Amino acid sequence: MAYRRAVNLIPKGKNCVFSLWIPCFQKSPNVIMQTVRFHKQANNYWGRTTRSLHTGTPLMVAKLLSVDELFAKRSLQEYLKKMETEYSECLRAVNSSVTEEQYSEDELRVKRTKVSLLAPLIQSIRELDTKQKEMAETETLLKDEDPALQELAELESEGCLQDIQHLRQKILDLLIPEEEADLSDLVLEVTAGVGGQEAMLFTDEVFDMYQGYAQHHGWSFDILEHMTSEIGGLRHASASISGPQSYKRMKFESGVHRVQRVPRTEKQSRMHTSTMTVAVLPQPTEISFTINSKDLRIETKRASGAGGQHVNTTDSAVRIVHLPTGVVAECQQERSQIKNKEKAMKALRAKLYSMKLEEETSKRYNQRKIQIGTKGRSEKIRTYNFAQDRITDHRIGMTVHDIKSFLLGEDLLDEMNSALQEFSNQEMLAELLGENNQDS
Amino acid sequence: MWRRSLSAGYRYFGCRSVGPKGLWGSHAVHSCSAPAFPAGGITALEAVNLWKRHFAERGVTEPDNSSHYIIAYLFGAKTLESLDQRRLTEFLSPEKTEQMWKLCSRRLSRMPLQYVIEEWDFRDLTLKMRPPVFIPRPETEELVELVLTDLEMKLGTGAGANAQHTCLEVGCGSGAISLSLLKSLPQLKAIALDQSQDAVDLTGENALRLGLQDRLQIHHIDVMKDAETLLRLCSDVSALVSNPPYLFSEDMTTLEPEIFQFEDHAALDGGKDGLKVIKLILTLAPRILSNQGGVYLEVDPRHPLLIQRWVEANVEEMHYVETRQDITGRPRFCILRKEKSNKEHKLDLD
Repeated sequence: MAYRRAVNLIPKGKNCVFSLWIPCFQKSPNVIMQTVRFHKQANNYWGRTTRSLHTGTPLMVAKLLSVDELFAKRSLQEYLKKMETEYSECLRAVNSSVTEEQYSEDELRVKRTKVSLLAPLIQSIRELDTKQKEMAETETLLKDEDPALQELAELESEGCLQDIQHLRQKILDLLIPEEEADLSDLVLEVTAGVGGQEAMLFTDEVFDMYQGYAQHHGWSFDILEHMTSEIGGLRHASASISGPQSYKRMKFESGVHRVQRVPRTEKQSRMHTSTMTVAVLPQPTEISFTINSKDLRIETKRASGAGGQHVNTTDSAVRIVHLPTGVVAECQQERSQIKNKEKAMKALRAKLYSMKLEEETSKRYNQRKIQIGTKGRSEKIRTYNFAQDRITDHRIGMTVHDIKSFLLGEDLLDEMNSALQEFSNQEMLAELLGENNQDS
Repeated sequence: MWRRSLSAGYRYFGCRSVGPKGLWGSHAVHSCSAPAFPAGGITALEAVNLWKRHFAERGVTEPDNSSHYIIAYLFGAKTLESLDQRRLTEFLSPEKTEQMWKLCSRRLSRMPLQYVIEEWDFRDLTLKMRPPVFIPRPETEELVELVLTDLEMKLGTGAGANAQHTCLEVGCGSGAISLSLLKSLPQLKAIALDQSQDAVDLTGENALRLGLQDRLQIHHIDVMKDAETLLRLCSDVSALVSNPPYLFSEDMTTLEPEIFQFEDHAALDGGKDGLKVIKLILTLAPRILSNQGGVYLEVDPRHPLLIQRWVEANVEEMHYVETRQDITGRPRFCILRKEKSNKEHKLDLD
């Protein structure tokens, strides 16, 4: 009740400014965003409205670039040229007979793969070239003295422009790399952070939110671990989620989520700030990732004594330790021991796989840090402020209202998620072009 | 405050057994004094903690798990962890309180929890449990895994793909093994035997509940006494599976009261060396199995070497394939295969 009243005390204006940002991210598929460090002036402004929310995470602001602006960039043009050269070289190598050139079978295989990977991009680039030449030709016709010819040229150039826009967008889409894990299922982990019982209560709500989100998308949601607190909160839980695009969408939820509200447990209606952490781990397939069973120590309550018919235990909890890394997974959700083992194994595989992926990603991006994505689990990504009934994602500075609906894990969460997806695509492109350091 | 009427509580829960066979031998319940029935309200959590302490004081094994599983069962969940925690802080209805006291009092008498709540899970299945029918142990879930892997290979490839496969289980108890196999392999048929009418009945009930009755034949046969009937019923079987009684007789006295007082001794006691039933099964196996058919046994960790030596010396046509370990690394499972020599095969054809 208390926060309901408080809503009215908040100047509405600020919220409006927040929401101004939303459409920019969502409704501009043909706009590329380049992230730059926050500049001074804006910092003052944001600092005022959001000071209480921020804890040292640098706030990003996005500068929007249109497709045309992007294609005017030297870096993009150079990148496309580089791709074309690479493609031609590979193609030449593949087509030449073995006697002429000194390529091993392995090298050839790599080049063949490269050719087939690059083919759609190169085709689009060439189509774009053709269209641009056509465009140049029609432009000369536009200056023709014959009015009929001029009209025709105008029509033609209009069509040409449309095609060019279309092709440019297609090229941008093709440039954005697919993450290896994008097609996998995932294991979701939630853990209560700072804030005691209140943090655990919030963790429970967030876990429910994702259960709702899975349902909303028709994904399966299978609880692996579920460690509760006495008053109904959740210390830690994990669930296996599978379904189309599940990882691709869920990966943006990874990070520290913060709640600001008067806790149920608080008698003096004081506002508390608590946190919980979400980890989203891609679930590897059996083939893509194997674990040596010799590296595992499996612990059960039946380990001591004779086992078998000698004992009747009901404790079917299973704990698995991966000896080389010390990573542990456990499950006591089921009454069947073998089911608990399967679930613990699932959680363990996901943990180990994400460690491997993180290692690979950090190799790939060692100079620069990606702002959005599966990185930085310790990053504060989102605040749920009950007094203002708003949810703010700090990575893209987006705010939506109506926490109750948001926690259902339906359209509102989806809206936030799509914005993050868009932002991430644009960021990845900027990364690819290596532009973050250089002024354009 | 509800502690005041200590004696008042008694009438709600007698310390009666539900065991039909009078299994309350000489060891039976000395005292089954439950904590006083709460006259006022009590929350689920309070009830759980109260019983936990009480179980611990009375030396009941697994005090925490016992009270957790019982409250979870009362709320329709399988484990406390999978239960909506908010429900634990709610007050129990008088009916639920009464049920809680009834079930916990049974547990207090050392009745195994699986009999108290009358059900337990085995792999994917939830099975009805009833004394004195043997309660399947987790190791047996792994035995099923071994059989499944082999049968899946037979069913999935080449020559065997279209053939009808049958498996035989000796000593089916609650039906856990046969029903798991049938559930996982829709083309499979199974024959299950037990020397106990209670086990035969329970397997039948479980099969019916799971809708697997059409592919399962259940017979009340004591193979120790009536091997001929068994041989008449079964031939050309692809897999012979058994979790036979394998305890050494001398170990019977060291069993916890849960097992000793409530479970059918015939499902546990394997004779002096624990091999009584195992040897019989292996002797009969060549006449029951199809060529290349397998025997899968759960045994005592001391058994595998003994079994291997004994089979090699005593049973022609049976080839000892391997010993497999259980989840805790104990040698627990024996796999054997029937292999006809070419000469005999020719003789058969004559």
